[in-house]
Amino acid sequence: MTIMTKMKGVATAFSFAALMSVGGASLASAEDVTLTMAVPDWPPTRIMKKMFDEQYKSETGNNVKLEVDFIPWPDFYTRVNASLTSGEQKYNFAVSDSQWLGAFVEGGYFRKVNDLIDADPELKATMDEMHPAPLNAYSTYPNSTPNYYGFPQFPDVLVNFARSDILCHDEEQKNFQAQFSKKLPCTGEEIDAMSWDDFENVGKFFQRKKGEMLAGQPADDDFYGIAYQAGKGYDFSSMQINGFIWQEGGNVWDETKQPTGQAEGVVNSPQAVGALEHYLRLIQYMPPVAKTGTMDIFKSDELFREGKVAMNINWIGLGEASLDPKTSKVSDKLVFGLAPGTPGPDGKLVRWSNIGGQPFVLTTWTTPTQLTEAMGFVKWWLSSDIQHQFAAGGGQSAMKSVYSDPKYVTYRPWNRAWAASLDWQKDVWHVPQFFDLLTQQQDQFDLAITGKQDAKTTLDNIAKYQQNLLTEAGLIQ
Amino acid sequence: MATSTTIWEKLGFRKASGVTEAGWGQTLLAGLVSLIYFLPVLLIIITSFKVQNEAMSVPPKFFPTSFFGLIPDVYVFSPTLENFTSVFSRAFVTGGAVESTGFDRFFFNSMFIAGSSVLLALVIGTLAAYGFSRYPLKGNDTYLFIILTTRMLPAIVVIIPIILMFRIAGLSGSYPGIILLYTAFNLPFTIWMMKSFFDELSLDVEDAARIDGSSELRVFFKICLPQVVAGLAATFVFGLILTWNEFLFALLLTGIDTRTVPVAMNQAVAGGGIGVLWGLLAAIETLFLIPVFLVTFFLQNHLLRGVTFGTVKR
Amino acid sequence: MTMTATQQQTPGFLNVAPDNWKLAIAVGLAVSILAASLFPASASFWVVGAMVAMVAASIVVNAFRKRYYGGLLVSPAIAVLFVMNIFPLLWSLGLSFFAYQSSQQSMRFIGLANYSRLLTDDLKAPELWGNLTNTAMFTVLTVSAQMIVGFLLAVMFAKQFPLRRYLLILVLTPMMLSVVAVGVFFSYYYDPTFGLISQSIKAWNGEQFILFSNKTGAVAGIVFADAWMWSPFVMLLVLAGLVSVPKYLYEAASIDRVGSWRRFWTITFPYIRGLLMLALLFRTIEAFKMADLIILLTKGGNDTMTISYHVIRIANEQNKTSEGAALSYLLLFVVIVLTNLYLYIANRRSREN
Repeated sequence: MTIMTKMKGVATAFSFAALMSVGGASLASAEDVTLTMAVPDWPPTRIMKKMFDEQYKSETGNNVKLEVDFIPWPDFYTRVNASLTSGEQKYNFAVSDSQWLGAFVEGGYFRKVNDLIDADPELKATMDEMHPAPLNAYSTYPNSTPNYYGFPQFPDVLVNFARSDILCHDEEQKNFQAQFSKKLPCTGEEIDAMSWDDFENVGKFFQRKKGEMLAGQPADDDFYGIAYQAGKGYDFSSMQINGFIWQEGGNVWDETKQPTGQAEGVVNSPQAVGALEHYLRLIQYMPPVAKTGTMDIFKSDELFREGKVAMNINWIGLGEASLDPKTSKVSDKLVFGLAPGTPGPDGKLVRWSNIGGQPFVLTTWTTPTQLTEAMGFVKWWLSSDIQHQFAAGGGQSAMKSVYSDPKYVTYRPWNRAWAASLDWQKDVWHVPQFFDLLTQQQDQFDLAITGKQDAKTTLDNIAKYQQNLLTEAGLIQ
Repeated sequence: MATSTTIWEKLGFRKASGVTEAGWGQTLLAGLVSLIYFLPVLLIIITSFKVQNEAMSVPPKFFPTSFFGLIPDVYVFSPTLENFTSVFSRAFVTGGAVESTGFDRFFFNSMFIAGSSVLLALVIGTLAAYGFSRYPLKGNDTYLFIILTTRMLPAIVVIIPIILMFRIAGLSGSYPGIILLYTAFNLPFTIWMMKSFFDELSLDVEDAARIDGSSELRVFFKICLPQVVAGLAATFVFGLILTWNEFLFALLLTGIDTRTVPVAMNQAVAGGGIGVLWGLLAAIETLFLIPVFLVTFFLQNHLLRGVTFGTVKR
Repeated sequence: MTMTATQQQTPGFLNVAPDNWKLAIAVGLAVSILAASLFPASASFWVVGAMVAMVAASIVVNAFRKRYYGGLLVSPAIAVLFVMNIFPLLWSLGLSFFAYQSSQQSMRFIGLANYSRLLTDDLKAPELWGNLTNTAMFTVLTVSAQMIVGFLLAVMFAKQFPLRRYLLILVLTPMMLSVVAVGVFFSYYYDPTFGLISQSIKAWNGEQFILFSNKTGAVAGIVFADAWMWSPFVMLLVLAGLVSVPKYLYEAASIDRVGSWRRFWTITFPYIRGLLMLALLFRTIEAFKMADLIILLTKGGNDTMTISYHVIRIANEQNKTSEGAALSYLLLFVVIVLTNLYLYIANRRSREN
């Protein structure tokens, strides 16, 4: 390289730098901001990403990019947990199961958002408009206090998936009437009105061996009336059993009654024992896999889509696959209703149930610039128009103005059960000890489900363990 | 001995008459046992050609064709290649647009990461094994045992320090980080295997070469190494198989761009708001099997040629 | 004369030379400590890294000049293992003496309390004992199944026959599969409604077959899948030994009319003993870490919980990092004792011969 070319090069570099600094000054507001988000890989998050890429424009004029790490569900917790607790500081946003709030807020990873909500009247109005059940479940720590941490990403409840071709068949109707002196539920309204005893009757009624008559034809395989989760994994029986316990007047350890709320005597109360026995009674009428402790959310869904059961209670989040003829053998024969309830003293159904779904949360290491953009994204996400689009694409909304819109029930067949279900949703254990409580309880429930232990012993063991653990942690006095 | 081998002989028949060393009885038995042994894999491969609605059928559909009406229709599925295209691009939302799944990238990542780390481990490990075998240190066996110990703990225990270390060094989500980690992951087995090979070699030839004035480097490259090619092949295959399917480190230490197939595979186990996408999972596994299958197949002769070992020493 | 020789061998401490490793260590330590206290972690990491490299380089140069080849050859492997394995292991060993949960920020030194609690606590000790017996049961069952099946397969493939290459690769395929796929597909094969086993049995007696209805069935299912997957590993190692037995030994034996049992022990076995040991060693180590298949098949139901799965639960799900570390060091202790026992027996045998 000669001296001249070197000089030229230096001169070019200088002028380029000068140009850059001038340009930089005039365009100071248009920055590239990247928000990194950890989400489970499934339609509700894929839809969100797609809508963002196609529609989102930041009001600040910055060029905002949402980098979404789609992590398969089975590994989602492991990945997020390791990332947060190791101090990797990789994600600005994370979708979190509502019960994880306690552990990760205490660890200092999730950012409190009260100041951000208060600073923005529009956002405050949006939060006020949220149904209180999902708001408390997805946002608050400690549970049901006005300390907010999250925003709903995909709210979810349990609904009843049913086969109209089987349930509405004349012969089945006639035989059911003869056997139980009641009408076999067939329409959405009739399913809404079902109690757990009616559900049990459906289970008793449909226990057909291969070759026996089913809806006017010989069954091509063993057929069962009902399916409901009874799995050992994650929370695949606790969520279900909690509903039974609440509906029959019992309670789980309630963290909102800290520090006087006890586990011993509450968790194993006679009502709770009765409720667990009721739940366990249903298992004998389900497909045999239920007795092995592997009837998780996916197994009951698969049995239903393959046409092996008449009714399945499951999360709405798994509903899309049932409607798609490519993945479901029953896609054109479906009817949806509320999950069953328990008749209360006034004869009306009590429908307490454990809420599903996930919020997304902000992490504490998000920089001010990122924070501004993140809040812009949150407001956009919770705006009425976007929530409607999300619901139309297969999501759900917890905002009153959205789900009470007459259009809402037309988006998906199960949406007719949505608004009525929301009032009855509760959540549990927004405490750091969540996973201790859950794994021990799941182990104990599994022993009961697989017939190795009765309901009383199971709940006694759980109560004893929880009393110990929570007393040690200072949550029970 | 004929100089030109017929296809018949290539397949292992020694003479045209079909006389074999093992005898026909054992040949038949081996054939039968191998096929039964392979059956679960075969079922996975068959499933990769089925649509979701046929994968779980009762009774199971085993055959892609009815063989001119020979097989009843209930056992016959209509084969499709849809799963294989879905591996690389599909609609994530019912009725949505077809998007890339990134699996082309994941396949590349798996090959690049597993390939380079196993090779690196082979180089470093072979050197170390030679060192341990020819120039024993004080407490040689203790070192060897400590090296083995690193394979004994469940990976989850060391993961937190490693993640932290990677973050500080800026290695998380990068190729060098995971490759180096896998190299360490492969080293114990490599060292133990290769040491066994070197221990078996006769020292006389080496000593003779040294007396002739060969340098240590020359002795290693020209005399020792050619004798352990079979060992190198075996170690490479074992290392590749173990690294290829490693899951936990890959899950926690790879980023969006460096993710490997075993991690991404779970998309098909519970992705898309549905349990297992059977056809898709089978298609991913089938495609993922091919590279390591081919490598093993072509190194097979080396694996079996005159391998001898001494005892494992402590 | 001797004086100068010593001086040449060990240059003065302050002599700046590429092989003065003592000075390198001193400088490296000083700079590292300085950097760690002055710079942020991300910068000081690389400074410390550079210092380690400098020390390593000087040691290497020193070793090379002194023809200390053993250390030279071994050092790259030791370096990689130290950074990526041994250092994190020591870190978690350190953690096991603290009360530390990764989801919380506080950390308190408690000495051996984690260990003593695991071994004596009313709730934890029986759990540990139960998981340990399960792990031992799985180890014995899977490893012995793998050794037997692998050995028999190897014997079957020891001699030349038509299509041998092609049949052999079929048998080797299971170990190339990913555990996730094996677990998911075996749970399909075992499923009472859709599964192939249940359907074959149902075609015969009309009842769905529930394999996982009791512990025996669950254990059998897990052991079968694991043994199926990893027997080829044993087979390949044993086969490598079998094909290397010189033919003339067998010919000599047949002339002497040696019985087949004796022929095996005196001729064949010495050639495969080392390989059997290696296979046994590595399969035992892996069996003690067994968790993936159990998570995929039973989630630990029907009393199939193992130590390794328990560690995953404690250390990952419940974030009890230090308790998980303590538990895995207890596991490590058991494995070390066991493998030493193997190696001791193997060495004694080889000395006897």
